[in-house]
Amino acid sequence: MSLSPYVPIIGMFALAAGFAVMSVAIAPFLGPRRFNKAKLAAYECGIEPSPEPIGGGRVPVKFYLTAMLFIVFDIEIIFLYPWAVSFDSLGLFGFVEMLLFIGTVFIAYAYVWRRGGLDWD
Amino acid sequence: MEDLSLPKIDYAAVAPMLILFGVACVGVLFEGVLPKAARRVTQLVLALLGLVAALSVIVWQSDTRVLTAGGAVAIDGPTLFLQGAIIVLGIMALLLIGDRAMEHGGAFVAQAAITVGSEADRKQAVKEQGATEVYPLTVFAIAGMLLFVAANDLLTMFVALEVFSLPLYLLCALARRRRLLSQEAALKYFLLGAYASAFFLFGVALVYGFAGGVEFGTIHDSVTESTQSTVLLYAGLAMIAIGLLFKAAAAPFHVWTPDVYQGAPTPITGLMAACTKVAAFGGLLRVLYVGFDGVAWDYTPILGVVAVLTMLIGAVLAVTQTDIKRLLAYSSIANAGYLLVGVLALSKDGLSSTMFYLVAYGFTVIAAFGVVTLVRDADGEATHLSRWAGLGRRSPLYAGIFTFILLAFAGIPLTSGFIAKFAVFGAALDSGEAWLVVFGVVTSMLLAFPYLRVVVMMWLSEPGESTPTVSIPGGLTAAALVIGVVATLVLGVAPAPLLDLTTSAADFVR
Amino acid sequence: MSTGEAVTFWILVWPALVGAIGMVLARNAIHSALWLVLTMLSIGVFYVLQSAPFIGMAQIIVYTGAIMMLFLFVLMLVGRDASDSLIETLRGQRVAAVLLGIGFAAMVGTGVYRAMDNVTPAGLEQANAQGNVEGIARLLFTKYVFAFEVTSALLITAAVGAMVLAHKERRKGEKRGQPETMRARFYPGNYPGPKPGPGVYATSDSVATPGRLPDGTLTDRSISKILPVRELTSSESAPKGTEK
Repeated sequence: MSLSPYVPIIGMFALAAGFAVMSVAIAPFLGPRRFNKAKLAAYECGIEPSPEPIGGGRVPVKFYLTAMLFIVFDIEIIFLYPWAVSFDSLGLFGFVEMLLFIGTVFIAYAYVWRRGGLDWD
Repeated sequence: MEDLSLPKIDYAAVAPMLILFGVACVGVLFEGVLPKAARRVTQLVLALLGLVAALSVIVWQSDTRVLTAGGAVAIDGPTLFLQGAIIVLGIMALLLIGDRAMEHGGAFVAQAAITVGSEADRKQAVKEQGATEVYPLTVFAIAGMLLFVAANDLLTMFVALEVFSLPLYLLCALARRRRLLSQEAALKYFLLGAYASAFFLFGVALVYGFAGGVEFGTIHDSVTESTQSTVLLYAGLAMIAIGLLFKAAAAPFHVWTPDVYQGAPTPITGLMAACTKVAAFGGLLRVLYVGFDGVAWDYTPILGVVAVLTMLIGAVLAVTQTDIKRLLAYSSIANAGYLLVGVLALSKDGLSSTMFYLVAYGFTVIAAFGVVTLVRDADGEATHLSRWAGLGRRSPLYAGIFTFILLAFAGIPLTSGFIAKFAVFGAALDSGEAWLVVFGVVTSMLLAFPYLRVVVMMWLSEPGESTPTVSIPGGLTAAALVIGVVATLVLGVAPAPLLDLTTSAADFVR
Repeated sequence: MSTGEAVTFWILVWPALVGAIGMVLARNAIHSALWLVLTMLSIGVFYVLQSAPFIGMAQIIVYTGAIMMLFLFVLMLVGRDASDSLIETLRGQRVAAVLLGIGFAAMVGTGVYRAMDNVTPAGLEQANAQGNVEGIARLLFTKYVFAFEVTSALLITAAVGAMVLAHKERRKGEKRGQPETMRARFYPGNYPGPKPGPGVYATSDSVATPGRLPDGTLTDRSISKILPVRELTSSESAPKGTEK
């Protein structure tokens, strides 16, 4: 497969990237500069920037459950991809196979949901 | 593009696996929908029924010899025999897992997410019933093992390896007592197991590069016929062997074994010592006998060294142990060495004797861990060897049972251990592997020492203040103990039926 | 290599390399992980270039999307500051690591060098005869259908495992209902009204600046408990324009 048709697209990407970089780069030279103290202060959602808390600010472990569930369904999706691409040639048995697979993974979902794994509090 | 069609699947032949996967899925669903009080009995009955149903199908299908599911699954003599063995041993382990008579709520923690040692944790340790997720997880593990011994290509084998390993990593972390130790064990097992799986997978890739396929038939053909460089073949086989030997707990890939066996809940330790060993050696047998038999001359010396190392390390380090679970772990490592001796006979006799050894050892080792769950004090199981001193005076029956089990481990005649060792050593001698047999006999004698030390301690010491009581086992543990001890005795006295069965089953299909 | 392939390669090789070096050199574990994301994305495109779109998509969707996210989450669970201790627990570990690293680099280098000249890909034509993704589908749904379906058992185990190890179940009665919340709100000693707003002035955009009560005293209640109170200097707290 020749990739030459993509050369214009790559050129377009380069142009867009160049424009973005250039805009940022020349802004300090073109814009007026009138500072005061509040403007110079770092702004972090209205909260005074403070040194990182001890331990680096740990995140509660329930995030882990969310991430793990995301991975489970992400992997399900990656199997759906080849199935969807060759759906026509797979026919009915491929459909049944995929239903079986999705149904089985859905058991995990039902379990997590019923046991309150999806409740945040 | 042409239309595809489903490969022919012999549903009856793969039914045991389908049943167990189905049962495990239903179990997970039940975890979600059933009220808490009803879960334990339902799950236990469901799991046992599933295992019995799967076993019946295996007995019914015992004459099947077929490659099915597009050649990915081989249902043949060794598969059916090993699957049957895994299910029977799995039933025993499940009986130990399900027992809640010795400890309130069973051997498993109610909520593993609660921080160890916190107020909530102390409360749940006394009050709560153990988590019931352990049943579907156990069934998943057993189903994965069934697929592992049946897999006819390396890819299916890898998936099966993960399917049976992942639940085991989890189950290791769920001990009710000494949970930090249990979590540490699970973490070690998981990390090292992940490395072993990675080695296996990398090996599969290299072998694919050599053979152009991952089916054992294809590999066999290109091993015997291919003229290209064998670097990929040897590197790949070595890495696959590392993955399998890790699961089988052979030296130098054994270092996880004592820590994990000690930290895991004792019923799970039993499950790992018996079923995982059967599965790992089942996989190793198929890889070596079906896929790579063309290079047998090349791998036999290396695996022979591994076997010798395994026997020596297991036996020597068992002598120095002071904890009964660690002692049994090192004994399990040494037994992996004896099993490797049988595997390396590379003959029909080697195959059948290895399968016999796996079954005989499995029955005995589950019974051994069953007794370990009984000897307890206020803090749970009393596993330090010094605590076992004088147990014979306090509870002659269980001390007697444990003595019998240890004698079977030591390979004393009239126990299954003797017949099993005799069979593997005989097969190795017939194949001209006398040096392995010499090491086997020497380490067996060495290994008898720690066993006998425990026996002497139990019977010849006076029970002291700290000698724990032996709990009255619940019906489930008692049943598992009876099965294990009776099997150990029967296989020692009248081994012929099982020996005949292993001989008639010892034919792989390719 | 076609022109387009070459151009894409030479554009993306730099992010891939910079990401890899940045991952090793970054002090902060999270920065390290983000550098790795850059490398993995570039590698995903390389796979697509090498006629393997499926593995390229898997690299981007699963590895970069899901696994790296789990990675970041785990780093945050452990704490961002948990940097490596530089004390060697195993004697000679560093030397051994360097030696093995050099050996591994030499091995990979030799392999790559040998692959440079005149190696024709074996079997690529057959494998991609009907398209790469279609070829994967053909194998996945026919020959390896058993392994494919069994993978769902793996996914269930993963979800159950995450629940068992990370989810604390609340018993009935642990969650506070509306009546209890209201009772606690109007309980003597608790102030039921809304909190005073923070003292945000044009000279400071921080919500950590305490607000003032009508009598002019500062009130702590206007600041969230987790924020350190910011002490304002008199010039900062003075109304704007008075310093002139």
